[in-house]
Amino acid sequence: MTTPPTTVTATGLSLRYGGTHALDGVSLRLTRGVTGLLGPNGAGKTTLLRVLATAVPPDRGEFTALGHDPGTSAGRLALRRALGYLPQTPGFHPDFTAFAFVDYVAILKELTDRAARHREVRRVLDAVDLADVRGKRIKRLSGGMRQRVALAAALVGDPGFLVLDEPTVGLDPEQRMRFRGLIAEAGEGRTVLLSTHQTEDVAMLCHRVVVLAQGRVRFEGTPAELTARAAGRVWSSAERDPAALAGWRTGTGTFRNVGDPPEGAHLLEPTLEDGYLLTLDSESRTVTA
Amino acid sequence: MTWHVADEDLRAYARGELAAPLLWSADTHLTGCAQCRSRLAGAADPVALDEAWERLDAELDAPRPSLVERLLVRLGVADHTARLLTATPVLRRSWLLAVLSLLVMTVLAVHLVDRPALFLALAPLLPLGGVALSYGPALDPSYEMAVVAPMHGFRLLMIRTVAVLTAGLAFNGLATLALPEYGLLALTWLLPAVALTATGLALTPRLGPVLAPGLVGGAWLTLLVVAQSQAHSHSTLVPFTAAGQSAAAAIAALATVLLYQTRDRFDTRPAGGFVDGGAV
Repeated sequence: MTTPPTTVTATGLSLRYGGTHALDGVSLRLTRGVTGLLGPNGAGKTTLLRVLATAVPPDRGEFTALGHDPGTSAGRLALRRALGYLPQTPGFHPDFTAFAFVDYVAILKELTDRAARHREVRRVLDAVDLADVRGKRIKRLSGGMRQRVALAAALVGDPGFLVLDEPTVGLDPEQRMRFRGLIAEAGEGRTVLLSTHQTEDVAMLCHRVVVLAQGRVRFEGTPAELTARAAGRVWSSAERDPAALAGWRTGTGTFRNVGDPPEGAHLLEPTLEDGYLLTLDSESRTVTA
Repeated sequence: MTWHVADEDLRAYARGELAAPLLWSADTHLTGCAQCRSRLAGAADPVALDEAWERLDAELDAPRPSLVERLLVRLGVADHTARLLTATPVLRRSWLLAVLSLLVMTVLAVHLVDRPALFLALAPLLPLGGVALSYGPALDPSYEMAVVAPMHGFRLLMIRTVAVLTAGLAFNGLATLALPEYGLLALTWLLPAVALTATGLALTPRLGPVLAPGLVGGAWLTLLVVAQSQAHSHSTLVPFTAAGQSAAAAIAALATVLLYQTRDRFDTRPAGGFVDGGAV
């Protein structure tokens, strides 16, 4: 299998915020398709996404996306024209309809021709299955529908680089599945960076994954490689093993332990979550039953 | 139906060349007039017709432009700019009513104590506050999406500033009309208003969207207190004399030049934080 070409390259991105390093020398490479960004709360995921979305410049380091250097005015403008961004807390003008909101974002994205803009608004609302509620006020839509409106806004102009900040948070399982389907579609032919703390999202959607903790990249590779980190390091026991780095009771009543197994332990097939837990710092990976 | 779309307009519509606001009238009319829809079918080649139907379909979903938006378009403002102007967060009805109520109360107080300085002190602060609140995350729910949009941050800021200044100055102007006994003196809020707003904006890239207008507003009030302490009873305070007005004009000009020179900073670093805090 040939490696797809790199579309986004970041080198040494650092940003101090409130006296701490929100980002501390982050370097990564993205290719076409969906890349998952995993990390605990406060890991710096949102800050990294804001930097890559040009919402805030880094203190140090640089990056290029789709061949554009946001360190220059022309590069920043070119990147913004090729960017779709769904922030963690997308805000809506409460009295806007779904159509009016996406139309407003389309104007900000320089779609000035009214007829062409309206066609584009219809296209993206259709793409996220909101054709039936185009004229409804956003305040009357469910949380899942609002997230889809925000995704539609991000898709305006057919951007080549899509930055999605925890879009599945707060959605019920059915809405989450639906949203995953939309992200998978959006990832065809595009570079998508999806921030999440749900390993399920990564397992189902992503061809690559980056683990961020305390502002640093702890892992970069495929989900299979992250899972492989836990090979031979997951075992079951009747009681929680105190030597385990993490352990939790499963549905069968036995404990699933992650760490360095004792001799003769009953080893289990590792999952992505196991690999993720082992990748995090020891302070943040202690999980109690 | 009391009217029908003119042949020429119908042909332009089918070609996608009809401009707003005629376009809006045609959209609305075609939705309800079978006769004009049938004429449209005969007025265009099949490809152009398909596009016209698609366009009409899209227009049916589009929100009807507000009265103000339609008025702006009739005055020659581009329809997308009119949409941005009317979507300015602090032009919501609740905000405008609050400003209006404050002005009415101030005018009543001026009549009560015969001291126009009450109004003259307040009036310049309203546009300053309005403009300060018209960008940044506090009142703009889609702020973070706007920050990363290709539209230049300074352009959006200026569009909103013009909208807020126009509304603010119009309200102040109406309040001035309620104080005819003070003649031209009642208009001496205007130059300080422009000076304070321009200075607040010019300092925003350096000091942030809260501290900059806060400091400027504080400086204005301090100036008035000092002027009041040095004035004889019922004499005009210095900022509202010819010398004070000249100084305000000079400050306004200087701040405008400074603001223009720092325009790119509104684009590289957002003027405010984000709703959930986070790095700026």
